[in-house]
Amino acid sequence: MPLLMLVLLTLACARPYDVQPAGVGTDRPEPVFPDYRDVTIPCNIAPLNFYYTDPDGSRFTTTFTSSSVTVTRKGRDVVWKEKTWKQMLAAAAGSDIEVASSYRAAGETVRQTWTIHVSADPIDPYLTYRLIEPGFEVWDDLEIQERNLENFDTRNIADWRHAGNHCMNCHIHAQGRGDLSMFYLRGAGGGAILNRGGKLRKLALNDTTMISPTVYGEIHPAGRYGVFSNNIIIPAIHAAGGLRMEVFDRNSDLCVADFDENRLYAFPETAREDVMETFPVFSADGRYIYYCAAPYLHLPADLDRMMYALVRVPFDAETGTLGAPADTVWSAAQRGKSVCHPKASPDGRWLLFTLADYGTFPINHRECDLCLMDLATGEILDMSVVNSDKSDTYHSWSSDARWFVFASKRGDGLYGKPWFSHVSPDGTVTRPFLLPQKNPHFYDTMLRSFNVPDLGNAPVGFDAEVIETLWKDVAAEPFE
Amino acid sequence: MKGKGGRILLAVLAAAALAAGLSQCVFLVRHPYFRKLAAQNGISLREARKAWGKPDKVSEQIMGMVVEADRENWPKVSELAAERDLKSEIGTYYYNLANAMQGRLPDRLMDYYQPFERGLFLPVGPSSTPFQIACAGDVWFALGYMPLAERDAMLGLLFSPAHTGPRYLRRLAETNLVIGDFEAASKYLRILLNSRSDRQWAQERLPGHWSPEYQLRIAEKRNLMPQFDLVHGMDQTQLALRVLLTANATNKTALDYLLCYDLLTKDLDAFVADFNPAYTASRLYEEAILIFLAAKGGMNEENFVHYHIAPQTFQDFNRFVSIYKRDDGAARNLTAEFGKSYWYYFYFAAKNEKK
Repeated sequence: MPLLMLVLLTLACARPYDVQPAGVGTDRPEPVFPDYRDVTIPCNIAPLNFYYTDPDGSRFTTTFTSSSVTVTRKGRDVVWKEKTWKQMLAAAAGSDIEVASSYRAAGETVRQTWTIHVSADPIDPYLTYRLIEPGFEVWDDLEIQERNLENFDTRNIADWRHAGNHCMNCHIHAQGRGDLSMFYLRGAGGGAILNRGGKLRKLALNDTTMISPTVYGEIHPAGRYGVFSNNIIIPAIHAAGGLRMEVFDRNSDLCVADFDENRLYAFPETAREDVMETFPVFSADGRYIYYCAAPYLHLPADLDRMMYALVRVPFDAETGTLGAPADTVWSAAQRGKSVCHPKASPDGRWLLFTLADYGTFPINHRECDLCLMDLATGEILDMSVVNSDKSDTYHSWSSDARWFVFASKRGDGLYGKPWFSHVSPDGTVTRPFLLPQKNPHFYDTMLRSFNVPDLGNAPVGFDAEVIETLWKDVAAEPFE
Repeated sequence: MKGKGGRILLAVLAAAALAAGLSQCVFLVRHPYFRKLAAQNGISLREARKAWGKPDKVSEQIMGMVVEADRENWPKVSELAAERDLKSEIGTYYYNLANAMQGRLPDRLMDYYQPFERGLFLPVGPSSTPFQIACAGDVWFALGYMPLAERDAMLGLLFSPAHTGPRYLRRLAETNLVIGDFEAASKYLRILLNSRSDRQWAQERLPGHWSPEYQLRIAEKRNLMPQFDLVHGMDQTQLALRVLLTANATNKTALDYLLCYDLLTKDLDAFVADFNPAYTASRLYEEAILIFLAAKGGMNEENFVHYHIAPQTFQDFNRFVSIYKRDDGAARNLTAEFGKSYWYYFYFAAKNEKK
């Protein structure tokens, strides 16, 4: 009994979590974090747990009302039981959840109301991302995780424990497919890990005639080919405070990998020394390759003039060759911005890319914003509701093209986190919401970035232990 | 557990617990800095032993320098460094830093082991040890170069045993306070506010809570920062120092670091180009200039005045040269008299390539 008393006393005396600093000018400028006010969410998302940020607030009450369900939560931390949340979502699908909150601060009652719109469009239930400290050149303890967006289940699909602490690059799905994806395991025993229909292969996607191994790329929708860039990447740093690390290419080209024939194809038209090419992806139908291209400049001296245009070139999926001519889709010279990371929506309607003032490292460029192009008209749509005053980039589409996820450094400006937006058939995008976590204070202590969040409609059929076997026991298939 | 056997067992257990407690007390008394560095890294003693091994006198001395440098207690760092010349890069790194912060880097540079430029700036890269990386940012923060101070704090956090630790979080908070990026700083301050041991430190750095002394500290650091942007390689140490000096030519610590870097790498052309006698002076620099002038044919009164060459330094140089020539470049008759001169370093110090 005395021990029990001691435990109870200790619990009673425990200091509550300090939410300072908060307010304008901090990384928690909004009254609630994550800020789930007036957002649109999918009808299958995990509970939106959040907390109130006012350090002086007390007696918090939050009431959620949908057509047939009302739920009230008391306390600074608003944490849902999954079952109750699912009932709320089911009742509100296609409509709104009305939220009314009140709390006491500075002797007054603060009242707020907002809505959460529950879209009838579900989101692909799986999200992969690499967890990495925003480091510089070196790494330690990397993990690639797969998160179930319908709850809080998370599992490692590759990690340092099972891969000799080697570097690994981010995992990408082809058109949101869980059965068609890849990532790189670097270093000794590494290779490109290709997941095709549940069958895993380790590929040596390099060729001595190329300037470097393959770096950025994407798998063709039919699964036979991959398009990649070869980049000689130079890390550097800005002298001015707050601009941090910069990365640029000393040289870059494109190549196509034929996964059936184990062949790599380079092309004279993209191997020119006076033009740099990077970030290649396929169009939704696989008949084109989009990539970014810029004239060669002396770097890093001319880095702030290094602007990449968005280019499209025909691709012949019968022969694995590029057609002609290359077509400039978005001119950097005319617009004075640099395009990065184009991504075609799986329905062929949209192209989402990022715009930075210069260069190819948008994740560290505060000005970097997402840009949505209607491929039917070439029109650029308004994304002001999505973008922030910090870097917004590294996006991917859901398999039905109704949702996209992107990494944003909004708030602290240092750590990328996954945010989701809905796109309606007319191109209207919605205010994004942050990946919900079981503990609403999760992001307060998180010291790693969610790198290249990528949506999948099914779980990938492997885990870190399977990757370990592949790393240790399987030789990488050579490519010619 | 009744009877005599039970009592004996209890007594044995109590004695074992007492012995373990006593052993722990002795350990803590003998290795206070090991414990403090573990605390700075946010790990228990058990975790520290696992990460760093069992401490000995040498590691305790180095950890003492690391801990006291974090407190900016430079006289204590010097005192610890002087206990014994460790002939290690980290030991020299902190000895140099402590001397620099007390305005005597060039005056003391030749008094102890110098592993060339690696005693000024610790290498940060795939071949660096976690301990080197953890310490590498201290010099950049002291010099006022926040981009590399922040980088190294981030990497220190990354390579620390638990991937956390108030030592790195405090540095990350402070570099961002200096930069003026309070959105970034607030992330770290919130974490520190929720730590019993760092709560007060963080509270004193919240907006509106800055003491006049802290305001002055931040203002001084901001005064050192580059006023323009330039993109450079991570390992372009001299360029980073020159950027600092372009922003603030009176940053004597940065100037001394640059000049000592030039001298330790035996780059006399760079040294002469970087040397501004109006901002710093030392017998070390006089010695280096004399080598340069002798080689380039500038041994005249005008240069002696410009570079503040003392007559005694010139006399000593002539004596060094005469012995050096007489003995066909052998060191044996120079070591006792000139072993702590730059001339001796310049002619006889050789890099251990294995390191």
